[in-house]
Amino acid sequence: MQGLVMLIFLEPRTSAFRLMHRTTLDSLLAHSQLPRSCRPRRTMSVCRPARCLFARCPTGSLPKASHPSHRSFHTTTPRAARKRRPHYASIKADDLQLLNQAAEKRFPTYDTSETALLEKKYTPAQIAAIKAAESAIDTKDVITQGQMRTDPWLLPYYDDLAETNPTTDFAEKLGPEAIPGKKTFREANDVERDEAIARIASENMAKLYPDGVPEGELTRKQQAQYNQALEAALTQAALDPRATFTSSNPAAVAALADPRHSIVQPDLPRLENRMARQTRRSSEDEEEDPRQKRLSLYMGWTKRQMRDIRTKTLVVHGVTNQTRMGKIRSMYYLTVAGNGDGLLGIGEGKSVEPEEGRKQSVFAAIRSMRPIPRYENRTTFGDLEKKIGATKVQLFSRPPGFGLRVQHLIFELCRAAGIQDLAAKTPRSRNKMNVIKATWEALAGQKLPDEIARARGKKLVDVRKVYYGGSVH
Amino acid sequence: MSLVNLAHVCSHLQNASKARLGLTSIPVSKLHVNLLIALQREGFVSSVTLGGTTPPKPFFLQSVSAPEDTDALAQRLQSEPWAAYPRPESAKSTQTAQIPEVSVPENPARRRLWLGLKYWNNEPVLRHMQLVSKPTRRIWLTSEDLGKISRTRQSSFVRGLTHPGECMFLTTDRGVLEARECVERRVGGMALCRTW
Repeated sequence: MQGLVMLIFLEPRTSAFRLMHRTTLDSLLAHSQLPRSCRPRRTMSVCRPARCLFARCPTGSLPKASHPSHRSFHTTTPRAARKRRPHYASIKADDLQLLNQAAEKRFPTYDTSETALLEKKYTPAQIAAIKAAESAIDTKDVITQGQMRTDPWLLPYYDDLAETNPTTDFAEKLGPEAIPGKKTFREANDVERDEAIARIASENMAKLYPDGVPEGELTRKQQAQYNQALEAALTQAALDPRATFTSSNPAAVAALADPRHSIVQPDLPRLENRMARQTRRSSEDEEEDPRQKRLSLYMGWTKRQMRDIRTKTLVVHGVTNQTRMGKIRSMYYLTVAGNGDGLLGIGEGKSVEPEEGRKQSVFAAIRSMRPIPRYENRTTFGDLEKKIGATKVQLFSRPPGFGLRVQHLIFELCRAAGIQDLAAKTPRSRNKMNVIKATWEALAGQKLPDEIARARGKKLVDVRKVYYGGSVH
Repeated sequence: MSLVNLAHVCSHLQNASKARLGLTSIPVSKLHVNLLIALQREGFVSSVTLGGTTPPKPFFLQSVSAPEDTDALAQRLQSEPWAAYPRPESAKSTQTAQIPEVSVPENPARRRLWLGLKYWNNEPVLRHMQLVSKPTRRIWLTSEDLGKISRTRQSSFVRGLTHPGECMFLTTDRGVLEARECVERRVGGMALCRTW
């Protein structure tokens, strides 16, 4: 108290002192006389009103704690205020102009040629609807707030209607009205047939050799290839319906070979054979464990992805099998595997050979990896509970920065799965094997909020994706 | 008004969901009816029907007409598609005609409330239902309490709604409402049960 009064009267010349309210001084003295626990929370630190004394602040304004340049009565250094950044960038008027330009460039309005094309495909009512829908959304908003969907029900492809994806879209179909002129056919006679076969075969050869048939002396390999191509082209031409039927209308003949006129759906595009790819890669590599090879074939992952899987053996103990010949001792292993990004699996292995048993468990764990739904890629969706045997595991989702306040076994599982904030309780039995199994099943068996909403027939909107352009963390 | 019967209803609905029943019945009381209608509004049960000791005929089967009539209707709709919608002047008459007939016994003791249970992806929609107030200890919550509870915090010794999709139902002077609805309307009431 003595020091405080001293300090106040040491600097009587400051303007703030002169301007100071009498009430401020009174309250300051009153607070400083009280014991620490009795003071109100707001004014617990004496330095706040006191700093007002020495600061050049106008009479009406409240004392502010964010002026570290002024002296305080605390001996401890004041903690720097957290730098406040706005959650979303403020846009200046100039930038807004740029934004308008960008929006116009990226989402231009329809010109006359485009509207003419639209009129071919859509009725006037549909065009009006399209235009109304497009004018309802400001293109600036699309640029500033538009973002890619990340929810589990997003489409596996971008909805570019200008292209057809043979895997996801229906194949284009043409009806008889697409053929101009007569649509009558007759069976071709032998001359016409040979002529058509020759023409179609040369077309096919042109497809196989886009740069022209190789001229001059051919190597044996090239010759064989050429013969094969020729044979394939002739066979295809003989099977082509254009060789069997003919018509006076060339458009009708062309429609015979057009797959868009066929009632049979075209084959799905041939993906690169996974099995072939895997065998090719493993044949290049050095000799490895056959189980490893089988695992990589089963998973279809690259070697690098396989190497990034984290495994940890959590339970090891000896088990014995009592036979009439005596006891057979073997080792039991329980391993967890995860990629640290939402995949988690557990596997058991048992063998007389310790190393063999461990490997068994590791491969079983990798094979059993299942996706773990994570909220914001850090915690669970709500509280979970799972009971296996006498073991009950309760998992509680927690806010960001909480950390993994869980027992060691659950900690290892969370780390392998990439969960960062979680609390857990194992109120009943803490059998290691059952704790691990129960935790895994609880994590993997989570229901997503979207799924729950669908089951109840409700509509669910994540407002965090709506406000401030979805940039809320 | 004891809550013992409500406790029995909670256990029975859990058991029926575990047994994957499509239809089940509970004893009728005003509280049960209001609560089950609130559950239906939240999408936990598909239908709530008053009936007798035997289950009521499904509405679908009751409203099915003869195949010849269906054909005639289809032909008519093809020529006049607007006939699918009720006419504005005859809205009243069609509405009365659409209400399916349910035979409810005269004797109130023989009445039962028939509930359609819901399943999604081979999992029951209602898997957990338990009382909050107990027959010997009623719990009354204010809208401030409910605000905390619906934000997953504990209040008035009632745990927060922390499970995904958890709902709590309360009986208020505005009828049986869900906890979030109570917060919205700023009403408190007696907590009945929590469901997820």
